[in-house]
Amino acid sequence: MSSQNLTIVQAVRDGLYTEMNLDDEVLVMGEDVGKNGGVFRATEGLKDEFGGDRVIDTPLAESGIVGTAIGMAAMGLKPVPEIQFSGFMYPGFDQIVSHMGRFRNRTRGRYTLPMVLRAPYGGGIRAPESHSESKEMFYAHEAGLKVVIPSTPYDTKGLLISAIRDPDPVIFMEPKLIYRAFRGEVPEEDYTVPIGEAAVRREGTDVSVFTFGAMTRPTLEAVENLEEEGIDAEVVDIRTISPLDRETIVESFKKTGRAVVVHEAPKNGGLGAEITATIQEEALLYQEAPVKRVAGYDVPYPLYALEDYYLPSVARVEEGIREAVNF
Amino acid sequence: MALKEFKLPDVGEGVAEGELVTWHVAPGDEVTEDQVLAEVETDKALVDVPSPFNGTVEELLAEEGEVVPVGDVIITIREDGDDEETAKAADADADAETADSETAESDDADDGSSSGGRVFAPPSVRRLARELGVDLDSVDGSGPSGRVTEGDVRAAAEDDGDGDEPNGPRTVQSNGKSATAKRDEGTSASAAASAESADREQTLAAPATRALAKEEGVDIDAVPATEMRDGEAFVSPDAVAEYAQAQREAQAADAEAVAAEPDAGAATAEATGDAASEPAPPETGPGAGERVPYKGVRKAIGDQMQRSKYTAPHVTHHDEVDVTELVELREQLKPVAEDRGSRLTYMPFVMKAVVAALKDFPYLNSQLDEDNEEIVLRDEYNIGVAAATDAGLLVPVVRDADRKGMLELADEMNEKVEKARNRKIAPEEMRGGTFTITNIGGIGGEYATPIVNYPEVAILALGAIKDKPRVVDGEVVPRKVLTLSLSFDHRVVDGAQGARFTNRVKELLEDPKLLVLE
Amino acid sequence: MVVGDIATGTELLVIGAGPGGYVAAIRAAQNGIDTTLVEKDAYGGTCLNYGCIPSKALITGANLAHEAGNAEEMGIHADPVVDMSQLRDWKSGVVDQLTGGVEKLCKANGVNLVEGTARFKDENAVRIAHGGEGQGSETIEFEHCIIATGSRVIQIPGFDFGDEPVWSSRDALEADTVPERLVVVGGGYIGMELSTTFAKLGADVTVVEMLDDILPGYESDVARVVRERAEDLGIDMHFGEGASGWRDEDDGIMVTTETEDGEENEYRADKVLVAVGRSPVTDTMDIESAGLEADDRGFLSVDECRRTDVEHIYAVGDVVEDTPMLAHVASKEGIVAAEHVAGEPVAFDSQAVPAAVFTDPEIGTVGMTEADAEEAGFTPVVGQMPFRASGRALTTNHADGFVRVVADEESGFVLGAQIVGPEASELIAELAFAIEMGATLEDVASTIHTHPTLAEAVMEAAENALGQAIHTLNR
Repeated sequence: MSSQNLTIVQAVRDGLYTEMNLDDEVLVMGEDVGKNGGVFRATEGLKDEFGGDRVIDTPLAESGIVGTAIGMAAMGLKPVPEIQFSGFMYPGFDQIVSHMGRFRNRTRGRYTLPMVLRAPYGGGIRAPESHSESKEMFYAHEAGLKVVIPSTPYDTKGLLISAIRDPDPVIFMEPKLIYRAFRGEVPEEDYTVPIGEAAVRREGTDVSVFTFGAMTRPTLEAVENLEEEGIDAEVVDIRTISPLDRETIVESFKKTGRAVVVHEAPKNGGLGAEITATIQEEALLYQEAPVKRVAGYDVPYPLYALEDYYLPSVARVEEGIREAVNF
Repeated sequence: MALKEFKLPDVGEGVAEGELVTWHVAPGDEVTEDQVLAEVETDKALVDVPSPFNGTVEELLAEEGEVVPVGDVIITIREDGDDEETAKAADADADAETADSETAESDDADDGSSSGGRVFAPPSVRRLARELGVDLDSVDGSGPSGRVTEGDVRAAAEDDGDGDEPNGPRTVQSNGKSATAKRDEGTSASAAASAESADREQTLAAPATRALAKEEGVDIDAVPATEMRDGEAFVSPDAVAEYAQAQREAQAADAEAVAAEPDAGAATAEATGDAASEPAPPETGPGAGERVPYKGVRKAIGDQMQRSKYTAPHVTHHDEVDVTELVELREQLKPVAEDRGSRLTYMPFVMKAVVAALKDFPYLNSQLDEDNEEIVLRDEYNIGVAAATDAGLLVPVVRDADRKGMLELADEMNEKVEKARNRKIAPEEMRGGTFTITNIGGIGGEYATPIVNYPEVAILALGAIKDKPRVVDGEVVPRKVLTLSLSFDHRVVDGAQGARFTNRVKELLEDPKLLVLE
Repeated sequence: MVVGDIATGTELLVIGAGPGGYVAAIRAAQNGIDTTLVEKDAYGGTCLNYGCIPSKALITGANLAHEAGNAEEMGIHADPVVDMSQLRDWKSGVVDQLTGGVEKLCKANGVNLVEGTARFKDENAVRIAHGGEGQGSETIEFEHCIIATGSRVIQIPGFDFGDEPVWSSRDALEADTVPERLVVVGGGYIGMELSTTFAKLGADVTVVEMLDDILPGYESDVARVVRERAEDLGIDMHFGEGASGWRDEDDGIMVTTETEDGEENEYRADKVLVAVGRSPVTDTMDIESAGLEADDRGFLSVDECRRTDVEHIYAVGDVVEDTPMLAHVASKEGIVAAEHVAGEPVAFDSQAVPAAVFTDPEIGTVGMTEADAEEAGFTPVVGQMPFRASGRALTTNHADGFVRVVADEESGFVLGAQIVGPEASELIAELAFAIEMGATLEDVASTIHTHPTLAEAVMEAAENALGQAIHTLNR
C-alpha cells in the first residue's frame, strides 16, 4: 500500500477521513469544522466529502458540544467533537467529567460512549490567554476517561483511529506547536496504534527520559547533544497519559536507575509526579538518583513575551538530564 | 628533474630524534650520492648523514641546533635527469617548432605553475574525484596531454590508503554505564584489589544505602552482595560499611618501601610477573608448604614496590657522617624540648638538613611526568617519615617542612607516627610527599638499598648511630657515626648529583650549627 | 485569522523561483528533500518573465520582419508591417506557457509552493507575508535555505523608471508600439540587443555609451563586427558620453549627455531606454537577522558549494559575487546547492561558462581569450575561420564574423573560443563541451562535422590552429 508524507495536522485529517469512509456512524462536530475546514485545517474538505449531516458546525458552546456528543454516543453514533483549543474545554468540564467519564459506571456497563473529544493543546505559538493550556492531568484524574497525546504523524493517525474505535470515551489532545513542523510517512490505509502503550524512541543505558507531545522534539535534540558528553539516554514517548503504561516506564527505569520527565504542563501535579511515584513503588532498589522533572513552572501560562522561558527548552532538558546523571 | 625530499633516517639504537648540529651544504650546491649533507647528534654520538641522490640542493628545512624527529624532511634536492613522466606528453599534436619543448616540459598535472587553476578532466571525473576525496591537482593524468581519466582518479584513491570516509553519524560508545561509571572510578584507589571486590554492572540497593556508599567513598558495584532480589544482586547498608572498612585498610597501605630485604624486589617481582602463567603448585615436594594469602596491605605494599623499582632505575649512594657534635647538641636541647612538651629525636635535625640540601639540589625534590615528558620541580617540601607498623611500613607526611620550626617538626612527626602505629592515620596524611626519610637504625643495621617512594625521586635511609674509631687530627678516637643510604631515580638524578646532595646533608649534620643559617 | 503562530517546518527553503531557485527546488525534491519554494512575483523570475525569454521572442519577431523586408537580393520583395501589440501578446503567450510549465514541474516534483515575500527572522526561520489570497503571514522554519532572489535593473540619477518616457529593459519588452526615436543609454549586451531589435522594427535608434566601444568585456575585433552591422542598420553610436538627464519637449523628449571633458550633447527621442546593468536583490530580506552580510554592492560571497558564511544558507544566481550574472550560471549553481544539501559530493567547478549576445550578428564566447591564456601562463595557439569562407554561411546570406578557437600550444587543450556570426549562441555549446571534457584541438578537428553547416566552421578553426585548415589559409 502506498504512503504519504504528512504533517501531524494533515494526519489528523487523514485519520478522520479514513475512518469516516469505513464507518458511517463516525461524525465530526465543532466550531468552524465544516464550512471552514477547521481553523487549523484539520477537517478540511470533510464536509464536501461527507455532507453536513456528518460534519456539523456547532454554535460557540463547549458544554453543548460535549453534551450533544454524549447524547449521540449513548445512542450508538461515534461522534468526534472538536474543542477548538484545549483551554476552552473548561466550560464543558462538567459534561466531560461528570458525564462523559462516568456514563459506563452509572449505567453499569449498559451504555458506553464511543466518542473522541479532540482538542489542540499546548503552548509556544504566541497566542493570548487560554490558547496554550496543557492540562491533560485534569482528565487523567478521572478514571473513566482515556487521555491520548501523539507526537508523530504516524502515531497521530493510528491513535486517532484506535480512539474512534474504542467503545469508551477518549480525549485526544493534539500538540499544535508541531502541527506543521515536520512530515512523516503515514500509510494511506487504515491502521491502529494501541492506546495505553508507550514507545521507546531511542534506546540508552544511562538515564530514562520520559516525555510526550510537543516536548519530544527538544528532548530528542537535548539527548543528541548530550551524546557528545558521553551520556547515553533512553527516550520514552508516553503517548497515552491515562491509562499510563507503567510497565514500559518501570522496565526502562530498571535498566538505567535514573529518570527525567519532561512536560510543558506545570510541575505540581503533572504527569512527572505520577511517574515518580510509580518508580518509587515499583523500582526503589534500582534508584540511583531522584527523578528530575523538567516542567512548566507553577504559574498561569504566561503571555508570549515570556513563553520561551516557561516552556522546557533544549538547554533546560540538557541540564535536567545532567543533574540526574551526575547525582 | 624531480624534487626529492630527504627525511632524517633512523640512525639506530631506537633513537627517535636527533639534533642537527651542522649543515655541510647550502641551497644551490651540487651534491653527489653519499656526499655528507649534515652532522646530526643523537644521544651519544655525532653521526654523518649522507645524500642518497645526485642533484642540486633546493632547500634546507631544518636549522642548525634544531632537534628533528626521525622521519621529518630535513632537505629537498632537485635530482638530476629522470624524464619518465614527460614521455606521456602529447604525441605529434604540436607544431615542429614545439617538438623540443615537449621533453623539457612535464605535463600540466605535474607542474602547477602553468595550469592557471585549470583542471583537465571531464565533469564526471571531477565529481568522482570529489566523491573519493582525491585532490585532482595531485593526480598525474594518463590521458592525452595529461588529461586526467577515471582510472587515474581511482588509482590515486587507492594509493591514499583508506582515503576519505563519508561523514556518517557518529557512533556512540554505549558500553554499560558509560557516564555514570566514570564517576565511580575515581572513588576507589589503586588498591581496589583488597579483600574480595565484586565487579557488577548493576546493583540493587536502597537509596539510603547508595548514599552511604558514596559517603564512604566506595563503588556500590564493587561491594560483595549479601543477597539477591528480583533476580539481581542486592546490597545492604552493613555490606557497604564492611567493605568500606576493608577498603580503608587497603588504601592506608598505599605507599612505602621496605628496607629490610635488599633485592627482595627482584625475586618477588619475577615471581609476581610470571604469576599468570604459573601452573598449580604441587601438594608435596618443592613448592609445597603453608599458604598465606597475599592480599590486603601486604599486596598493596608489594604493588607499590614493584611499580617503583621496575619503573625507576635505582642507584644507591652510601656514605657515613660524623655526628658527634649533633649528638652533643641534641643532648643539650632534649631537656629544653621536654620542658616545652616535645620529644626531640634526631629526625627533626635530619629533616632540616635534608630540606636545606633539597633547596640546593631541587632535582631530588621532583617528580617525573612521563606522559608530558617533563620533570616537575616541586615547590613544596613535604617530607615523609617511614614508620613500621603492624600492618607494614606506613609513611606519614609532614607537609611544608621548610616552614616549620624544629619542635614543630618533632611534634608533628611524633604525632603522625603514633597515629600510624595505632592505625588511626588518614590516607590524606600519607599523600603528597616529595621526599622520604626512613630510619632503619632503630632496628639495627647500617646500610640499605631503599626503594624510592613513587612518585618521588629520592629516599634517604638512616642507619644506627654507632661509636666507631675515626682519625681526628692524626689520632684514632671514638666518634659517633651515622650511616646514610640515598637511593634515587637515575632517570632524573645522576650519580654525581646524588653524591653532592649527600655531601650537603653531611655538612649540615656534621656541624649542626650551620642549620641555624638555613 | 487563526490565533497564534504555528510554524511550518521544511528541510529546504528556496527564496525566489527564477532560473536559480526553481531549478534548485526541483533538484532538491528529486533527491527526496522536503522543499518549499517562495516567490513573490512570477515563477521563472526575471529570465522567464522580463528578460531572456521575452527579449528573444521579440528579437525573433524583429529579425523575421527585417529579413523579409531586406531580401531583394534573393528576389524576395516584401514590406512587412509589424503589429507591435500583437507581437507583444504573442510574446506574453510564450512567457505564460513557460511560467505555467515551471509551476507544474515544481508541483509534479513535490515542491511546496508559497506565494509571498520572505524576510529572515533568524538563521533558521523566515516570516512570509502572503501574496495573493493569503492568510496574512506565516513562519517557516528551515534546516537549509537557498537565496535565489536575483537582481533588479540599476536606475541612474536623472532617469526615474517611474517616469513615462524612461524605459527599463522590462518596460521596453512590454512596449505595445515602436517608438519613432529611441535613445539607448548603455552599450552593453542588453542595450545592444534591444537597440538592434528596435532598429529592425523601424525605430531611429541612438546609443550613448560611456566607454569607448560597445560590448566591453568582448574583444575589440568581436565587438567591431557587431558595431559595423549596427551602423549598417542605422544605429547611431556615441562613445565617451554619459547620460546626464532628460526633459520634456513639445515633440517627445530631449536627452542630455556629457563627456568626460564636460562637453554636452543633446538627442531628441520619444523614449529613453536605460540599460546600464543590474544590481543584486539582497536588501529586502533582513539577511542580517540570519547573520549574513552583503558587500557594499549588495553581493553575497560563497564557497565552491555555494554556501554563504552561514553554513546552512546557500546563495545562487545574480546575488552571488564574482560570477557572471547569467541565467544558466544561476541554474548550475542552483543544482550544486541543492545537491550539496542532499549530501552529494558536488562543487561549482565548471571549467568554462559560455555566454551569448543576441545581437546581429550573434556573439557566443566561452573560456579564455588569447590574452587570458597568456596571462594564465599558457602559450596560446589560435585558429580562426571567417564565416565568409563557410559555405553554409553564404547560403544564409549572413557571412559576417568568424569562429576563433584558443588552445594551449603544447598540449593542445582547448582553452576558449569566441564566435561572432550567425547562430553563434548555438555554436558555442560544442566548444563549451570540449573545454569541460578536456578535449584537444585534435579531438575537435578530427570529429566529423556535418556538411553543410555553420558548425563546420568550428572544426575548421580548430584545424587552422593546427596549421592544417583546408578551407582557409593557415597562419
